[in-house]
Amino acid sequence: MIGTQDSKELLSLINADQRPLDEIVSDFISIFKPSLQFKACCSLALLLEDKKMLKLTQRLIAFAILHHSYSSQQPSANPFISFIVNVASDDSADKVERAFILQLLGSTGTSNGRELLKQSAADYAKGFDPSVHVFPQREQLQKQYCDIVQPEPYSCLFRNKAVRKALPDPDVPRGCDANSAELDYVPPGGKPRVGSGDRDEAAVELMQNLSLEGMNPQWIRPVPPKLPIQDGELIWLNHDNSHELLWDYGMCADTSRGAAIRDLIAKALKGPLAPAQQEQILVELASDPKLVYHCGLTPRKLPELVEHNPLIAVQVLIKLMNSAEIADYLTVLVNMDMSLHSMEVVNRLTTEVDLPTEFVHMYITNCISSCENIKDRSDLSELCFLGVAIVPFNPCKVPLV
Amino acid sequence: MDSRDLSATSAATASRDGSPSEEDAILSVTAGLAKEAALLFQSRRYSECIDVLNQVMQKKPSDPKVLHNITVAEYFRDGCSDPKKLLEVLHTVKRKSEELARASVEQGDVGNTTNSVTSGSKGSTTIPHQFSTASSTSNAYSDEFDTSLATLNIAVVLFNLHDFAKALSVLEPLYQNIEPIDEATALHICLLLLDVALASHDAARAAEVIQYLEKASGGNCAGGQGDNGSNTHQSSNTPVKSSASCNSASLNVTSPDNAATGSSENPLSRTLSDEALDYETLLSTLDIGGQNLSRAPTVLSTNDLSRSSADRPAPAVDLKLKLHLYKVRLLLLTRNLKATKREVKLAMNIARGKDSSTALLLKSQLEYARGNHPKAIKLLNTSISRTESGMSSIFNNNLGCIFHQLKKCNMSAKLFSKALALSSSCLQSEKPLKLSTFSQDKSVLIVYNCGLQYLICGKPVLAAQCFKKASSVFYNQPLLWLRISECCLLALEKGLLDSISAPNDEVRVHVVGKGKWRQLVMDRDSSMQSNDIVEDKGLLSGNAPLKLSISFARRCLLNALHLLNGTKSKSSKPGVSSALEEDDSNSTLTFKNPNHKTLPSMEGKGSSASAQVGSNGDMKDPKGAYSLNVTLQNSVSSYEDICRREKCMTKQAVLANLAYVELFLGNPLKALSAAKSLLSLPECSRIYMFLGHVYAAEALCLLNRPKEAAEHLLAYLSDKNDVELPYSDVDSSKWKLEKAGDNDESNGPAVGGNMTAEDGHDIVFLKPEEGQGTLYVNLAAVSAIQGDLEQAFLFVTKALAVIPNNPKAILAAVYVDLLLGKPQDALVKLKQCNHVRYLSSSLPLNGCS
Repeated sequence: MIGTQDSKELLSLINADQRPLDEIVSDFISIFKPSLQFKACCSLALLLEDKKMLKLTQRLIAFAILHHSYSSQQPSANPFISFIVNVASDDSADKVERAFILQLLGSTGTSNGRELLKQSAADYAKGFDPSVHVFPQREQLQKQYCDIVQPEPYSCLFRNKAVRKALPDPDVPRGCDANSAELDYVPPGGKPRVGSGDRDEAAVELMQNLSLEGMNPQWIRPVPPKLPIQDGELIWLNHDNSHELLWDYGMCADTSRGAAIRDLIAKALKGPLAPAQQEQILVELASDPKLVYHCGLTPRKLPELVEHNPLIAVQVLIKLMNSAEIADYLTVLVNMDMSLHSMEVVNRLTTEVDLPTEFVHMYITNCISSCENIKDRSDLSELCFLGVAIVPFNPCKVPLV
Repeated sequence: MDSRDLSATSAATASRDGSPSEEDAILSVTAGLAKEAALLFQSRRYSECIDVLNQVMQKKPSDPKVLHNITVAEYFRDGCSDPKKLLEVLHTVKRKSEELARASVEQGDVGNTTNSVTSGSKGSTTIPHQFSTASSTSNAYSDEFDTSLATLNIAVVLFNLHDFAKALSVLEPLYQNIEPIDEATALHICLLLLDVALASHDAARAAEVIQYLEKASGGNCAGGQGDNGSNTHQSSNTPVKSSASCNSASLNVTSPDNAATGSSENPLSRTLSDEALDYETLLSTLDIGGQNLSRAPTVLSTNDLSRSSADRPAPAVDLKLKLHLYKVRLLLLTRNLKATKREVKLAMNIARGKDSSTALLLKSQLEYARGNHPKAIKLLNTSISRTESGMSSIFNNNLGCIFHQLKKCNMSAKLFSKALALSSSCLQSEKPLKLSTFSQDKSVLIVYNCGLQYLICGKPVLAAQCFKKASSVFYNQPLLWLRISECCLLALEKGLLDSISAPNDEVRVHVVGKGKWRQLVMDRDSSMQSNDIVEDKGLLSGNAPLKLSISFARRCLLNALHLLNGTKSKSSKPGVSSALEEDDSNSTLTFKNPNHKTLPSMEGKGSSASAQVGSNGDMKDPKGAYSLNVTLQNSVSSYEDICRREKCMTKQAVLANLAYVELFLGNPLKALSAAKSLLSLPECSRIYMFLGHVYAAEALCLLNRPKEAAEHLLAYLSDKNDVELPYSDVDSSKWKLEKAGDNDESNGPAVGGNMTAEDGHDIVFLKPEEGQGTLYVNLAAVSAIQGDLEQAFLFVTKALAVIPNNPKAILAAVYVDLLLGKPQDALVKLKQCNHVRYLSSSLPLNGCS
């Protein structure tokens, strides 16, 4: 708790049983810096807990220090007040000690108090008259001195259940009673007896080793294991494929590529193309598989192409089957108004490529609902013919997908 | 975009009969210059090439493509001292192109009303182009503003810098819309994507690309190899049935032409449909592009596509071999060892008579994965010429991996550091720096191995430094952060952390006073201390040496947890349900894209497949393609299963560590929530269950909720106050055993049988009895807190019976005795135990009294 030097200083203070108490107290305050005072007081309190460790006069001085270090404040603000009150109301404690504490408690700020501290500890013990004193009950004292109940700070059960972690282990010859006064008797000029020990030395060492926290309930917190090395966590190196920067051959390239087909497709959106023009589109598309992506068609424009040039629409869609946009195209196709041309396109598509089943199903559903709305019988029969033409291709596809 | 554009340009220029306008003149001049620059570039005369490019620049100052090619040419001339700057320039080029494209769309919208459709006369290049961009809603900019090449080059740089995550995010959109991109670039995109996917362990993506490549190169590749069922004959899957005959016809025309010339102008290559593109053509287009010529001896040319055409015996075979090797790597990644073995054999057959070092190295990896270490070492020796420092570094690293499995810890660590030294030395010696030099510098990868090995060898500080360096690549891996936190915990265990002493394995008692005044003072209880540690600043930032601490461990663990929770929505399959936005009909229907990129669930469908095969005149069993795809598919899905399991294990470890660390730091609430998450994991193993319960109980005690704490512990209590073993020995080695079992099932028997218990994959943890004792001690504490001293005494007695030498158990017994007011009994227990260290605080007390 406190260092060697401090503990020795403290011991010499409480050993001075002939000095007036107030001198000792003021010495204490001057020797120990405010930051250290609390620690020193704690050490004293810890020593006081063990009733045998300190002599009576030492205890009296210790109590005086504990009390007076905080006498400028309310008694309830003294961190050791409950400890002090407990000792004062402990029936097993020495009557001198109890009376002294009661006087200390009752003396704050009064001339009585000053009188009390003018004496030395030895004087007080000598002049003690038990008959003068009444010892009030614990409750009364607590009410009197610990009255301002401060908000209880959070305290952990582990801490609350702490026990004093020093246990006496008297090192005495077998058969000796450690408590007998016999051991302390030192013949004049002779050596101290085996096992007599030195009370002060023990007190100083205790002050250094004891701390406020006692021994807590013991808990084992297992250290979590390391995660085993995962398979493949250690990196095996392989030869790398080298990847270098590439030249862009598109620099200053002729962007008119496909201009002709763009023109044609644009025309095809407006009206039917002449057979020669159709042929030209099909040839150009066949000659360059990427051209279809640069021909200016978008999903939004598909319905126009379907209506005016279904054959070209079919070829374009076939070319686009691998593209990322095909879903959009098919979505447009399925949602466009039902017509002979759109049905023809779908019909041809089903024979040429594998269409997604959802698409075919949705298309047939749309077909049926449009047929129901059609008034003209002749249109209906043709539509139904095409619709039926789609269906036979499905039974073999449906279970597969 | 590539040569065909050039040829198209020249053709257009030649055929132009009308009097060219001024614009046309400029155009033809720049086109001519561009062609010249391209030729100079191909013949590696970079300085002259840049001169020509500068002339083009004067004519077309704002053309991003010119800027792009200047950058590329300068890179090849000067090397690359600052790849970050290179990246910046490429990004600028890309942004400019996109801006121009956008501007041109707007312009086109305005112009569209006035310009009739017929405005696309051949003379004027801009107007039809505008039309096309205006009319295309998505990516289909005309070639002039096409950014795919710049994007690919960005990805190339990122790949070489080992930034796979970013490279993947750059390549992904390109691959999603690969169809309009010309074959040469598309092939580069696929190969790069494959390398990136494999490097970032994205098996599903790699399988997808492999299947796409196989399909794209379909018909002709299977010719040479008739000896197996797994030939990659996939053209049966093409949706276009009728195109087959036309394709094969055009192939017949082009192939000899390509083989003969290989020159830069081959307009016929354009006639190939991509559905039936074969290796030969892919390569010849590449060759035309002249991109990948090996330019310096430093470029790894072994088995590489990028060889000059002179020393390439059969290019189609090269790409085929390459694909096989990719498949081997994929199968190795997915740990399908049986299929790997088959695939390696195929690859070795193809590589026969050529440099087969890559295949040998992969074979060595296979043997390593199978646990056949002598063979792995032998193959490693033959596969690598150790004269090159890059090779030597690979050799040492891989040998380190093998020695790790052989449990030669220190040897392995030595090999890894040697590999590291060799690897970084090769970066220093190279001048000028090329991108490939960066990618050859494997330090960031090797350094992870180093870190892992140091961690195993019990050197947490060194290990953490290594992991810090590796974080530049592995920052998005939860495992990295877990490992760093393990370094912190190990450092704590070893007492290497500032101001925190190592936990003791003995009871420490201070002897105070002498003779009858002698007292025993129990040492302060460090484990229950809440440690307030000053928060350190940036995580892994700066060059300052990493300072390990427990709060640092916490931050690493939180990182790991975040990464583990964040990776759920990662795998969005391409092309799924792309709804048409501008469609205003109310019954919009969307459905899945039927294109090739979604992993096909059914290959080789009956009728269409046989039709295709027949028309190709090349009878192949469609089942062959089917079975390979099934293998790939199964490997990928079983790998995903493995990954999911590993992720779950990692998560358990992270949460357990987190709970521990929070308890240590005095945050019982956070510890409790971590422990509860751990316990709620569906596949929580018994060991981590145990930890979860113990940590939760402690947290609850600290929160003054002893009853709930008791519930966690009482789960292990059978009747009569006896605690069962919380887990068994099997649980410690369970994970590994499970995996070995998997191997037996799907990959053939593990060689040598040394895959099990003792190869370092076991979890190292308390013995089951120690776990039991832990429960007794903690139950005693809970009972004591609740005031049930009798019960506490009972538990302590049992604890001492199970773990008599555990200091905590002794202390617990002492505590309960003291609580019961029996200091004599406590003394007796202390003195009976031989794990107590008595510390005398002998200080002379001279003249003090």
